[in-house]
Amino acid sequence: MRIADLSSFNEARERGLAKLLPSHPRVTVGMGTCGTGNGAEAVYQAFSDQFDQRGFSVKLARTGCFGFCAEEPLVNVWLPGKPVVILHRVQASDAAAIVDDLAASRVPAELALCKVEEWDHITGHIKYGSGYPDIPDWSQVPFFKGQKKIVLRHCGLINPDDIEEALAVGTYSALYKVLIDANPDAVIEAIKAAKLRGRGGAGYQTGIKWEFLRKAKAEKKYIICNADEGDPGAYMNRNEIESDPHSLLEGMIIGGYVTGCQEGIVYVRAEYPLAVHRLQEAVEQATEYGLLGQNILGRGFNFHIRLVEGAGAFVCGEETALIRSLEGKAGRPTPRPPYPAQSGLYGYPTNINNVETWYNIAPIVIKGPAWFTETGSPKSPGTKVFSLVGKVVSTGLVEMPLGTPLKNFVYDVGGGAPGGRTVKSVQTGGPSGGCIPQEMFDVAVDYESLAQLGSIMGSGGMVVMDEDNCMVDVARYFVEFTHSESCGKCIPCRSGLDQALRMLNAVTHGKATEKELVLLDELSRMIRDCSLCGLGQTAPNPVLTTMRHFRHEFEDHIRARRCRAGVCEDLALSPCENSCPLHMNIPRFLELVKEDRLEEAFMSVVLDNPLPASTGRVCQHPCDNRCRRAGIDEAVNMRDVHRYIADSIYGSDRYEAIAAQVVANKKPPTGKRVAIVGAGPTGLACAWYCALFGHEVVIYDSNAQAGGMLRYAIPEYRLPKATLDWEIDLIRRMGVEFVFNCQVGKEISLNDLGAQYDAVFLAIGTWKENWVYLPGTELEGVIPALPFLEGVAKGHTLPLGRKVAVIGGGNAAIDSARTALRLGADVTIIYRRERKDMPAIAEETEAAEAEGAKIVFLATPHRIVGNAEGKVSAIEVAKTRLGEFDKSGRRRPITTDEIQRLACDTVILAVGEAVDIDFAKASGLKIKESGLIEVDRYSLETSRPNFYAGGDLISGASNVSNAMGYGKRAARYIDLRLTGVKRWKDLLPEFQISQTVPAHPSESPRHHAREVPAGQRCRSFTEAVVGLAPVEAMEESCRCLRCDIRNGD
Amino acid sequence: MPSKISIRIDGELVHARLGQTILEVAAENNKPIPSLCSMKGLRPVGACRLCLVQVEGLGRMLPACTTPVQDGMSVTTDNAKLRGYRQMIIELLLAERNHVCAVCVANGHCELQTAAAKLGVMNTRYAYRYPNHKVDLSHSRFTLDHNRCILCSRCVRACAEVEGAHVWEIGGRGIGSLLVCELNRTWGESKHCTACGKCVQSCPTGALAEKGFAVEEMTKKPEPVSRIAAFREVRP
Amino acid sequence: MTNGKVKVATVWLDGCSGCHMSFLDLDEMLLTIVEKATIVYGPLVDTQEFPEGVDVTLVEGAVANQDDLKLVQKIRQNTRVLVALGDCAVTSNVPSMRNWVPVKKLLERGYIENATETLQIPKDGVPALLRQAVPVGAVVQVDAHIPGCPPSAAAIGKALLDIAAGQPPKLAGMVKFG
Repeated sequence: MRIADLSSFNEARERGLAKLLPSHPRVTVGMGTCGTGNGAEAVYQAFSDQFDQRGFSVKLARTGCFGFCAEEPLVNVWLPGKPVVILHRVQASDAAAIVDDLAASRVPAELALCKVEEWDHITGHIKYGSGYPDIPDWSQVPFFKGQKKIVLRHCGLINPDDIEEALAVGTYSALYKVLIDANPDAVIEAIKAAKLRGRGGAGYQTGIKWEFLRKAKAEKKYIICNADEGDPGAYMNRNEIESDPHSLLEGMIIGGYVTGCQEGIVYVRAEYPLAVHRLQEAVEQATEYGLLGQNILGRGFNFHIRLVEGAGAFVCGEETALIRSLEGKAGRPTPRPPYPAQSGLYGYPTNINNVETWYNIAPIVIKGPAWFTETGSPKSPGTKVFSLVGKVVSTGLVEMPLGTPLKNFVYDVGGGAPGGRTVKSVQTGGPSGGCIPQEMFDVAVDYESLAQLGSIMGSGGMVVMDEDNCMVDVARYFVEFTHSESCGKCIPCRSGLDQALRMLNAVTHGKATEKELVLLDELSRMIRDCSLCGLGQTAPNPVLTTMRHFRHEFEDHIRARRCRAGVCEDLALSPCENSCPLHMNIPRFLELVKEDRLEEAFMSVVLDNPLPASTGRVCQHPCDNRCRRAGIDEAVNMRDVHRYIADSIYGSDRYEAIAAQVVANKKPPTGKRVAIVGAGPTGLACAWYCALFGHEVVIYDSNAQAGGMLRYAIPEYRLPKATLDWEIDLIRRMGVEFVFNCQVGKEISLNDLGAQYDAVFLAIGTWKENWVYLPGTELEGVIPALPFLEGVAKGHTLPLGRKVAVIGGGNAAIDSARTALRLGADVTIIYRRERKDMPAIAEETEAAEAEGAKIVFLATPHRIVGNAEGKVSAIEVAKTRLGEFDKSGRRRPITTDEIQRLACDTVILAVGEAVDIDFAKASGLKIKESGLIEVDRYSLETSRPNFYAGGDLISGASNVSNAMGYGKRAARYIDLRLTGVKRWKDLLPEFQISQTVPAHPSESPRHHAREVPAGQRCRSFTEAVVGLAPVEAMEESCRCLRCDIRNGD
Repeated sequence: MPSKISIRIDGELVHARLGQTILEVAAENNKPIPSLCSMKGLRPVGACRLCLVQVEGLGRMLPACTTPVQDGMSVTTDNAKLRGYRQMIIELLLAERNHVCAVCVANGHCELQTAAAKLGVMNTRYAYRYPNHKVDLSHSRFTLDHNRCILCSRCVRACAEVEGAHVWEIGGRGIGSLLVCELNRTWGESKHCTACGKCVQSCPTGALAEKGFAVEEMTKKPEPVSRIAAFREVRP
Repeated sequence: MTNGKVKVATVWLDGCSGCHMSFLDLDEMLLTIVEKATIVYGPLVDTQEFPEGVDVTLVEGAVANQDDLKLVQKIRQNTRVLVALGDCAVTSNVPSMRNWVPVKKLLERGYIENATETLQIPKDGVPALLRQAVPVGAVVQVDAHIPGCPPSAAAIGKALLDIAAGQPPKLAGMVKFG
């Protein structure tokens, strides 16, 4: 079988081609470690059994992996003359049906992911056939869009255990060319001209390294392939070897020939048994075919390759440590110089390249350096394989041109975060890399650009993280890894990482101080600058980049003792509590309902949140997105349970008694006086807690009644004013005084308040409507949303037409639309993005549609058309298309020329609100450029001592629970300032509840609050959602998994 | 014949021979660079990182003990940044094990203690680890106290390179690294130890000591070890 | 400050008093210091409660038990410049040599295994030991360190004079650990 000349080489190729394109169907199963892990072995067996039973003439083979890990197991089916069709998520049970189809010369369309009509193997080209117009070409699948497979040129298409298939797609033809040309210098020049850079991470030019080795004079030289891939989350090299071992061998043999070296070693992790097995098989086959060993291809060149299995020490990825390991010593790095090219393995000149670097050699030899530099960026030509994992829809191996923007990986290829979450950052380069924040996703992925952000490209790990990932924990995790993999030779890495890990652990446990952050930063820089080898030099990168780009998360852990992601368990009670802006003890009130202790449940709820009935109706319920029950079926309906609790007590005959009990929690009078400006949710929350603390509280508001937006913006059908009145009543009973019809800045100045009170809290809402400047806004019939809603709430008669267009996608837009519907209008909502991008609560949007509102997505107002009397007669909207991803992770709408006209007589603009800040300017409060008041992020104190601000004034328009969260926080810090004692923990009573995890939580699906049928409710302002019945609330509480209970303490 | 070159050390032009390291040239010219793991005559390992210096034109700092001099090189051996890093390294070493100077045989003669004083280290900003390390008293003449070991590997090299006995090795990894005798025997059970004491004399701290000495009494004499090494080196 | 003199307190936690002995060794330097400083609290004066508004406190010894911890926290609150005096306060030194032994085992070893009479672990009238004896800097912010076992009288005197002059102490070349 030895190939000794061109004709025997070509004969072997032909035999291989006959296997790839046989005269009968060919079925291959992707059986890399990834496929096998997803059940490919059973799929293969099922096909094998089917073919045996039916005596069907089919070529069945194992291939490597085509890269789309999320869709495994992948099966390729091919019928002569037709394209290869890639089937995804194939189960063993599908085999019979697939074989039925094949027998009938069909392919199973419902399992088809894509087709491959022809394939550029770079070193060869194969036309599989054409047809199946309904199946998309592989390049049309989002995951593959923009990918360019140079390194992965054969992966997933050929049988890695069959050298003839490798020959058929052109493997070893570059070697043959090099041996026949017999001009090693020319090859090195070509590699240099191609500017191929080492793919292991450091990015040193391969051609230059080869030149060193070629020039080194020694009786022996070594070539080493570094296949010691050890980054968590990275598996490029494993897949490359498993799928296409021969291309690696070819690269190494060429390297050996041109550098004058006769021995190659592949240092591969023992944890990669399949890669080791396939590579060993490939070495044996190549030797048998005369492509390796003595007198290769009859050209007189001898080269041997052996495999050495490493025991899995991460530091052995460092070349000098790898060499020591090969020598049988402990894998510890040595300083360079001397470089391996001078004194490497056993003191002989040695060249080490990463697996992927070797795969690039044959393409450069065959296609030339000019072809290679066409791809990628000028400084970093070619492609790089990345393992895209973490919080993206489509995970897998991705080969992209160097220099591709990071956002293309995350959104285009990866499809963004699953479940509508927001991607927060990407960690590149594994434990040696850094975290790149979402705002910087425009960065080009190449060696220099990533280094500028403090990260590295590394060997190609790419871990995507979303809002559920705590960046402090991420840094801690990677340092824990490098700490345990440090060889211990040099002090910065050995002892420095140990101290860094201690400090990071302290942060995640809420036990660190800001002083330690400074120390951690200095220490990380020292480790980076002083360590002996790459492991230590790069180990602090995750810390330094997270501290640089996610500083606020570190500060949250230290100052507020909060982990927003809810990862650091010591800093959160449960995921729901952590996500609640008011940090309500949700598991507690659920448990109290479950134990049928409704009055205590009310006490628990109202002491956590003084507006339980209102928020129970209108809260954005962030708790839903975090509930772990959603992993089983659906989140617990926490919002409606607390509405139920509140509704059961307000207005009942028990109210008086319970209200007295609630008020009994009030601390003795402190004699301190607190003024609050604004009786909206922020102000009410702050007032409630200040009063509980025993301070004297007076709220000033320009309106005639309390509630702010709750009363004057949120329509009656969502929140009946009678309900709100109950809550205000309880706040009054707590001792809060109100001064109505008093506008700060007019009737009373801030300076007056400052003089009369010990602390002043500013909590004014966003009552200033943003205005879009488009032709026609001056016409009669154009109304801003908030004044519209306010007018309706106050019972004014408004000049509303019959056909109303609402512009916007937030809650104010939906409220306006549903209000207009109730006033008898025909309503169309115009929104410039897609449904999933709408900021409004999803249930509200659905309810609006059920009530008859139409929504035009992807449209933006172009101009408002008026009639002769100056009244609105129509609106013209321009269709938008979705462009690139913007900073919010949503696609930016781009206005097109396609104009559509909608007849209407009223246009309601709901495009956002702003705060009227003029009153604050006069009193010397610092205002930020964004027009919001500057406060300390934690204490909410403004630039003027004893003046605090919260809610919309500091955050811009937000929602009720966020607003209340600010009020609650402000009260805590105001009290600390006024009394000098941390009294928060003692403020609220303890509740004794069961601390046993329910062995059998209710299997019931989620209970949704009952709604009045759309047809009935759409013309009435009576409340549209009725809420949960007692038995439903009880059942819902029993669905809670009690994440608040800790095992072991 | 080693050819003569000139380099600048902290601005001063000095002569050097090719093949010398920055550390050697600096020492010859009375500009000592702090170091703990290097010892004359033993192969440099670049482990303690105290001798890091800045070489003009290079972004990365280089260990003086392993970097050969080159003609025209300009080296900075001391500045605020280097000093700050060196202090941190000393602090890390002090926090790593139980260096209780007050009750150490080498008190007053310890290179770590001296380096700390010279670099102005007044305290450690890092948390003391207080590891539970054993003391090996099994050898008839010598003691090994892991609490005082800084893992510089001078003993390992003295034994392997000068005595040729290969008794010592560093076992484990990372923060768990430990000086081990042969295949993790006690020193007294050693099969190869010649009791020559070269390791003890090479040890910069009180980790290796002779029996019979009390606090402050153990002085080390590494020079004879270096002289033997130099003698061996000139042989063909 | 009283009459332009800095108010100095000295405290002795878990240490051997050697540092205080060294302090007393100041000899004629005391005459200079006495013009700049007055001692308001310490083993050398008869004040029971740690006073408020102290300018400088020299703390000798490691923080080893609950009383040490409470006292050092109070000292921090009432002191402008807190100085860790000697190795025990700076590094935890000899008191820390019990740190890798669990407290319970430690007490059993001391009061039962190695005792000959009244075999019992004392409970009343003695503060509970902390899990580990730690340097003062591990529990409160320390403004200056004077290492040494003990530090020389000259170093202590220099430190006091520097602080009295409003400078951070410059002790390079005068101190070492041990």
